[in-house]
Amino acid sequence: MNSAPATSTDTGWLLGLLQASDALYPTGSYAHSFGLEGMIDAGAVRDRATLRTFLLNSVLPSLRNVDLPLAAHAWKAFGSRDWAAVGEVCVLAAALRAPRELRAAAEAIGRQRVELLANVHEAELAREFLRRAGEAHWPHCTAVAAALEARVHGAPLAAVLAALCYAAVAGVIAAATKLLRLGQNAAQGLLTELLALCPAMVGPACELPLDEIGWFNPWLDAASARHETANARLFIS
Amino acid sequence: MNALDGHLHLRAVRAADGSTALSAQSFRAPFHLSKPNWDPDAEVLHAQVVNPTAGILEGDRLESSIAVEAGAALLVTTPSASRLFRMTEGGHATGRQHFAVARDATLEVFPEPIVPHRGSTYFQETTIEAAEGSTLLFIDQLMPGRLAHGEAWAWDRLVLGLTVRRAGELILRERFDQTGASLRSLAEFAGTGAGSCFANIVFLPSVDEVSPAWRTEIAALHRDGVWLGISRLRTIGWSLRIVAPDPIRLRDVLTELRAILRRTYPRLGCGLRRP
Repeated sequence: MNSAPATSTDTGWLLGLLQASDALYPTGSYAHSFGLEGMIDAGAVRDRATLRTFLLNSVLPSLRNVDLPLAAHAWKAFGSRDWAAVGEVCVLAAALRAPRELRAAAEAIGRQRVELLANVHEAELAREFLRRAGEAHWPHCTAVAAALEARVHGAPLAAVLAALCYAAVAGVIAAATKLLRLGQNAAQGLLTELLALCPAMVGPACELPLDEIGWFNPWLDAASARHETANARLFIS
Repeated sequence: MNALDGHLHLRAVRAADGSTALSAQSFRAPFHLSKPNWDPDAEVLHAQVVNPTAGILEGDRLESSIAVEAGAALLVTTPSASRLFRMTEGGHATGRQHFAVARDATLEVFPEPIVPHRGSTYFQETTIEAAEGSTLLFIDQLMPGRLAHGEAWAWDRLVLGLTVRRAGELILRERFDQTGASLRSLAEFAGTGAGSCFANIVFLPSVDEVSPAWRTEIAALHRDGVWLGISRLRTIGWSLRIVAPDPIRLRDVLTELRAILRRTYPRLGCGLRRP
């Protein structure tokens, strides 16, 4: 019989990630629809079934090919204090989002998360990142902020990528509950189905070279661009 | 298999009389260059790059490099679509293209669309280096396949990379990596139909404008089944995504778009057909 403890007592990093993923944590993500409102305006997303398709054919590929590998590269760069590499990832992250709305959402949420790390958690690494980002005009983004959170809390890479998946999928579904007729149980059912697909994306994302990062959906980008100037909007752009 | 290792190198300069001339040109099959044509009204040199072969075949490696020096203005077009022919499993063709635009120079790149046939795989990497004060209009078009033969979304894989730097700063990085099947599912989801055609456009004006009047005019081209989004890139410039239900409507939208831009940027008004 194995006498080793069944659970690790080193759960500080887990609590840090839970806090960062919680709706109570003031990241401002509730104010963004991440392109969903534009796709609803365009008539592509209309109900639970089309929302599910949108999550499968747009949100997951974007995570797999953009946010997860960006976070993996940033996590490695923060680990070695390779600030040049951190800056490169920050600029690349902004350049990968052509629509201003999607870029601005990542910038606002990313900046807020880093500032929370610096001010609430009093993390010296976050303060140094803020100082360097300010001096070099690095754009902020969610993926880099998540990697920084992981380094501050001591979380393993796979855990922070999983948390990123949760935040992205749950963020779109939360927006959908305000835009579509979607009940709480239906929302949780979708979330459960989508989250089950996420672990398989983590490993490949860690291996993707920097120059192979990128993915876009032309329809989503067009809809997001139109949402920027839409007369009636529930979510900011 | 007779794979081609082709190259095209062009350098456009401002001549003493104010016109634009090619100071250097070098090409090898499948590239061929028609005699350039000076448009005195738009004050643009029109260079037409011809592929006299049937299209792009497995193993082909294409490399092009086009530089426009200060004060010069160049339009680069192709007379026909770039067809990607069927390849064996694991086989592919590659294209690398580099564009450099100097201060006070104008470059418009407007080739005919890529038409990927059943079973084709193509990797294309485009880099654009635009100096401060330069003007660039880059238009890339993609057809779903040989629509006249009832073939669409049958290609194996397309990877279209695009890197745009202005004044040395990275402002756009794209990587379009799709199978025909995955793009067909996106088209079906969006409801734009089996014949959906794409244009991906980057416009970098010489001077930054946050809310130019022409933006509203271009945004109004989103109609009659055409999806069009225009959004500001980081630091400067614009990204446009256009999805049209068929090639004719895509062509019409692009014609209107150029006409709108021409009113503010006369050098984008060079005729696409030779006199």
